[in-house]
Amino acid sequence: MNNKGRDALLFILPLICFVILFILIPVIGTLLNSLRQDVSFMPKRFIGFTNFVRLSADQKFWQSVLFTLVFPAISVFLEMVFGMVIAITLNQTLKLRGLLRGIALIPWAIPGVISARIWQMIYRYDYGLANYLLKFVGIGPVNWLGSSSGAFLCLVMADVWRTTPFVAIILLAGLQVIPTELYEQAKVDGAGPIKRFLYITLPLLSPIIIVALIFRTIDALRVFDIIYVLTGGGPGGATTSLSIYGYRFYLLGDFGYGSAISVMLFIFALIFALIFIKAGKFGRLSV
Amino acid sequence: MVEREEAVLKKSGVIFVLFFSLIPVFWMLIISLSQSPDFLVNGEMVLTLKNYFDIIARHNLHFLDFLKNSIIVAGISSLFSTLIAALAGYAVSRIRFRGRMVFMILVLTLSMFPQICIIGYLYKFMSRLGWINSYPGLILPYIAWSLPLGLWIMLSYFSQIPRELDEAAMVDGANRFQILIRVILPVALPGFLSTILLLFIFSFNEFLFALMLTTDFHSQTVPVGIALFQGLHGELPWGYIMSASTISCLPVIIIALLFQRQIIQGLTRGAVK
Repeated sequence: MNNKGRDALLFILPLICFVILFILIPVIGTLLNSLRQDVSFMPKRFIGFTNFVRLSADQKFWQSVLFTLVFPAISVFLEMVFGMVIAITLNQTLKLRGLLRGIALIPWAIPGVISARIWQMIYRYDYGLANYLLKFVGIGPVNWLGSSSGAFLCLVMADVWRTTPFVAIILLAGLQVIPTELYEQAKVDGAGPIKRFLYITLPLLSPIIIVALIFRTIDALRVFDIIYVLTGGGPGGATTSLSIYGYRFYLLGDFGYGSAISVMLFIFALIFALIFIKAGKFGRLSV
Repeated sequence: MVEREEAVLKKSGVIFVLFFSLIPVFWMLIISLSQSPDFLVNGEMVLTLKNYFDIIARHNLHFLDFLKNSIIVAGISSLFSTLIAALAGYAVSRIRFRGRMVFMILVLTLSMFPQICIIGYLYKFMSRLGWINSYPGLILPYIAWSLPLGLWIMLSYFSQIPRELDEAAMVDGANRFQILIRVILPVALPGFLSTILLLFIFSFNEFLFALMLTTDFHSQTVPVGIALFQGLHGELPWGYIMSASTISCLPVIIIALLFQRQIIQGLTRGAVK
């Protein structure tokens, strides 16, 4: 090994140690565990793909797969829409713009468990804020957390609230590098704000939109905390994500089956990560 | 015409941002300050600080324990994670070693693993070490888990510092470690501090690891405490939950308001370009 390689290794060694010990080994351990029968207080043994065969016949597993794929599709789409509105607003010249940007970060900065608790209270059937407000427009009361579609909607809204700021600031960074002359010129040509958005902002922002989209999708695939608090995966398993489903088996002490569920989620995330690396090719990795 | 249309759009945008971001937070505050959480249907609202006094004074609720654990765990792990990420970021930014790109992509890919794929095995690992329900049992995984984000942020700060600075120091006979400490870090200090703040928020908010790796108030963090909060008779004590939430949100809200510029820069440096 040359000098440079040795020097570099010294500097990155601590990082490599931590990552191997606490991320890589556990992930490999989970992969191996998925091929084992590993239930607390019972002898462990290698059983090949038996756990996966059991998965393929498990209705509840397929229900969680469906949820895990549909949930990101809907919530990430909404996050993009709201994130765009917020990003464009934060990019204007405003009085107290710094303060407004700080305020926009708040939903992202507070712990997910706490935002889930706030939404849980807003959605209460009897004295929640949502039903109270809906009464004025003649709707309701809606049994939000008691019905499967209601629970799904609640989760989407809670997730959109908490992660839209992240999307907004990624998009904001993209907006800031669009040259203002383009807008000036379009203004001179008499283009209104909507035209300018459609013909300048959207096309120039598309690479950044894709980055935000994929970051968020991978994150939404592994959603856990808001479900744990808001619905517990219910009613009737309708909002059980793969993370929640796997956790449930860990809790029961069935580490083999829980690992198999985790591995399936891992595969989904990997597919998206590969897309990410491909999409990242447009100039992203120019260190 | 166009000008007025624009002004209206701008104002509606600002109002949307304010409503969107603040209504749930205000709702948390209002419930935490009201005597009973059902005032919307049961008549009048009585403001009180009783929930706050209770949550702080009643030791069997353990709220102050959760808060202390969270601050210790998030504080130590964000500090160490930033230090380790700074070392690695320096190497990637300054030493043209082979496989830099592969290294960065691998680290980035690691951060995309779902936590559930790590925690099952990590739980067993920590049990064997006897570190379940201990500070190191949480801090060490948190350091590892926040390293990828930390590395990308530190790298983006380092790559903005002109190389001439290092070269001048190298001519003076300084080795790479001395250059990092004496030349680079002082210049990158703002980046260093904002990385610590970002990673603090990151660890402060983490839930799944803390849920699996802790068992009681000796090391449970705020998210775990608030998620597992139970009333005596099944009904959730909303006043307590919301006052505990409000107090716990204060540090991160203050960080968000005071350091919005640094946070936004930190989060976006890696994504743009």
